Amino acid sequence: MTAVTLPAAFADLPGVTGVRASANSLRIDLDHLEPAALAAAVARLGLRLGAVTGTPLAPEGETEMVYHFVALDRLVDVAVVSRGRSLPSLAPHLKPAVWAEREIHDLFDVAFPGHPDLSPLMRPEGFATGMMRGPMCGARRPSAPVPAADLSE
Amino acid sequence: MSYTIPIGPYHPALEEPFKVKAVCDGEIMRSATIEVGFSFRGIELLCQKRNWMEVVTLVERVCGICSNTHSMIFCMAAEKIAGIEAPKRAEFVRTIVAELERLHSHLLWAGIGAEDIGFRTLFMECYAARETVMDQLERLTGNRVNYGMNRVGGVNRDLGGLPDLVAAMADLRRRLTEVVVPGFTANPTARARLVGVGPLTRDQAIEWGVVGPVARASGLDIDVRRDEPYLAYAELGFTPSLRTDCDVFARVVVRVEEMLESIRLIEAAAAAMPDGPLAALDGWPTIPPGEATVRIEAPRGEVLYHVVSDGGPTPARVKIRTPSFVNIPAIEAMVPGQQLADLAIIQASVDPCISCTDR
Repeated sequence: MTAVTLPAAFADLPGVTGVRASANSLRIDLDHLEPAALAAAVARLGLRLGAVTGTPLAPEGETEMVYHFVALDRLVDVAVVSRGRSLPSLAPHLKPAVWAEREIHDLFDVAFPGHPDLSPLMRPEGFATGMMRGPMCGARRPSAPVPAADLSE
Repeated sequence: MSYTIPIGPYHPALEEPFKVKAVCDGEIMRSATIEVGFSFRGIELLCQKRNWMEVVTLVERVCGICSNTHSMIFCMAAEKIAGIEAPKRAEFVRTIVAELERLHSHLLWAGIGAEDIGFRTLFMECYAARETVMDQLERLTGNRVNYGMNRVGGVNRDLGGLPDLVAAMADLRRRLTEVVVPGFTANPTARARLVGVGPLTRDQAIEWGVVGPVARASGLDIDVRRDEPYLAYAELGFTPSLRTDCDVFARVVVRVEEMLESIRLIEAAAAAMPDGPLAALDGWPTIPPGEATVRIEAPRGEVLYHVVSDGGPTPARVKIRTPSFVNIPAIEAMVPGQQLADLAIIQASVDPCISCTDR
């Protein structure tokens, strides 16, 4: 599989707003997700779903999802932002999405219509769904360290 | 009549806390469900609260076995964002430590696997062989785990006494070929407990997205060290171990063969160790805005990190996907039709790391 064929293969995916290729990776941006079409595209290309990164964009806002697909020698990142804190589930089409989406539901309170089982995966008893949204959006940013030369003064 | 046997989260058959609920008809398991999350620590959030150098130390604590894997891949992701190229000597040092870590992980697994089938003598032999590796790791890095070798841009210290390392590897090869390998592959009792147990077909391996030795034991020819070479693997040459038996025995053989290949890689890296600096930069790294997705081959399989920088003193996001996170769910596919008594070795055969899975 070459870097030339991969972007072309994804260009026809519904909702594509951008395709960026680099040496060993490809980034596809979508404005909406059609799971069946995405699953069919990756099946055609023989890609494996390696991971899903969820990043809350605001405490009460949306979540950016990046689906990391693995080709033999490169990575394909497919990015999409939730709508109304919801995204259709990939889990009925791709098994590795089952745990990945459960975890994101647990931590960031994203709904995944069509998911077979959104019971808690990581969330301990007594914690609310989306327990990591607020803390992750408000994570403290420590100041830069004092240079060693200044410490000696 | 079916009944459910809950095992865990704390149980002698489990290395770390997770729960398997097996639905049985008599002694035969019909299905199983897995529960994790008992060791959740929120490390991805903590990464956003620590600066780039502190995160190296933090992610090294994701796992007590493949600790070096985590600090190394995080540094590689930061280097990719910043366009930093680690010096050649640092790459060889990282390769040697990574392969020593694979040996220590696989030998630990082999010991636990032997214990799970009641083969105490082999358990002791595996752990005695592992001490050879642990002694070398302690001598070379100063610690048995959490070696603190990696920094953004290279490594923190050089490896001394490479001839001693090579001699130790020769001794380990002898122990493996004379004791550990025949203990698992030629002993009729061990074979009876391993061959044909816990099957995961090639199609199932693809469907569940498994990685590492579990995938290669089901005929999936994937290994990041060869497919997307990093560190010194392209120069040293590398051949993955592959089996098509698709059972627990195949997972044992793949790991045993990988140990012998790790010894060869360590010997080759020691012989070809280039001169030069250990790090591309002194002091504090500046990571510009950007993002990188990086994967490497840990002992249990592919690890994937997605790191985002907004140019600030801390990472803006660190996503950690460990091999156990995708391998553990596949236990559910290995269980139907198997004896309940084999559940211990079936779950162990994926080498589940709950510390990694839960983060």
